[in-house]
Amino acid sequence: MTEERKKSMARILIGGILGTLVGLVLVPYVMYSRECPPLAVLACAALGGMAGLATQPFADSGRALLLRSAGHFILTAAFFALLVVELDITLDWTGVLFWEGLLALLYLLIWLGRWIGWYLEVKRLRELLGLSPGPSPLKWRETLPYLPFVLLLCTAAPLALRSIERAMGTDIPALTGIVYPMLILPVASFCVGLSLGKRRGLCPLFPVACFVCYLLVVFVLYNSSALFHCFLTAVPALGGNLLGLCLRRVRPTGG
Amino acid sequence: MEVEVRLEQGREEPKVVILAGEETEEVRRLVEQLGKLRLDPVPVRRREERLLLPQETFLRFYTDGKGVSAQTGTETFTVPLRLYELEERLDQGRFVRISNGEIINLDRVTAVDLSLSGTIRMTLNGSVYAYVSRRYVKKIKETLMRAGREKR
Repeated sequence: MTEERKKSMARILIGGILGTLVGLVLVPYVMYSRECPPLAVLACAALGGMAGLATQPFADSGRALLLRSAGHFILTAAFFALLVVELDITLDWTGVLFWEGLLALLYLLIWLGRWIGWYLEVKRLRELLGLSPGPSPLKWRETLPYLPFVLLLCTAAPLALRSIERAMGTDIPALTGIVYPMLILPVASFCVGLSLGKRRGLCPLFPVACFVCYLLVVFVLYNSSALFHCFLTAVPALGGNLLGLCLRRVRPTGG
Repeated sequence: MEVEVRLEQGREEPKVVILAGEETEEVRRLVEQLGKLRLDPVPVRRREERLLLPQETFLRFYTDGKGVSAQTGTETFTVPLRLYELEERLDQGRFVRISNGEIINLDRVTAVDLSLSGTIRMTLNGSVYAYVSRRYVKKIKETLMRAGREKR
């Protein structure tokens, strides 16, 4: 057994013991009961073990980091779902998905923190090598010129179209209800993402901006049942951006 | 500090003599810095041909499964040394190890990029890519700071 593996096993063991103790104390408290379901304690122990390993997924870089992080997240998500179900925190699968979403958000925040650390390291290397500063963090500055397009596409256009529909006295808002979100929005988001990807490479904040800008429209024009519309802009935007990145690698355009 | 260069015909290796009134910290640092300078040419092979090329010619040295290779701006050579032996022979202010299997020439780095998954990629001479292992980042920074490269 290698030294690294021994350390990992020790971390899992310590985390597991602490998780079990926390589970034995907190599970009856959360359930307002004297009972302590063994599966809930098992989930706590497993989550403790996974927390003990939490720094490992970020110890390397590239493919190894992606594989380790994905493996760690899948296992943690499975144990977390088990805990949520055992504690009766939620009644249906949408509730479980909500808690899993929060866990994914936590992962995203940890990753972002690590990435900023790496970014600062690379920035320092560039300074020491006397090179130009390079792109802004997560390319926010490079994404900024595309923000007016995003606002037009995801916020102004659907609001304007709905006003037109109202002015025309249309009974069924087919344009803003079906045609725009299902057809025009994904195609336009894809095309804008493609353009950005070709010019600036991967800009992860672009799909996020599309999502957030359309989120406002969802609550103004529709209701929470239309939240999936946000993905109809964010996913094609990401896809277009990735395709643009690939095209840029095949045939660099500068920028 | 006064610097004087005297050219001597027939001399193959440069010799440095430091003249000082007493042994100060500055003199000790100077001796240490000069001692680290390794300017010997690197022995390489091109098929059956054996060559000695100056260090600054090379972009990088890397292991490729068969042995150690050396890449210049135009061609690749075989090096009859192990990577750690090569590391000891190279100028430590110019060459730095960036991963278990690669040493690069810092003077030839034209770009440093970071991917979303944390991979650090160095571009040498605008077209050759080298990937930095995270474990070596601290060492690279130390080398660069020691060589006083900031704001060149």
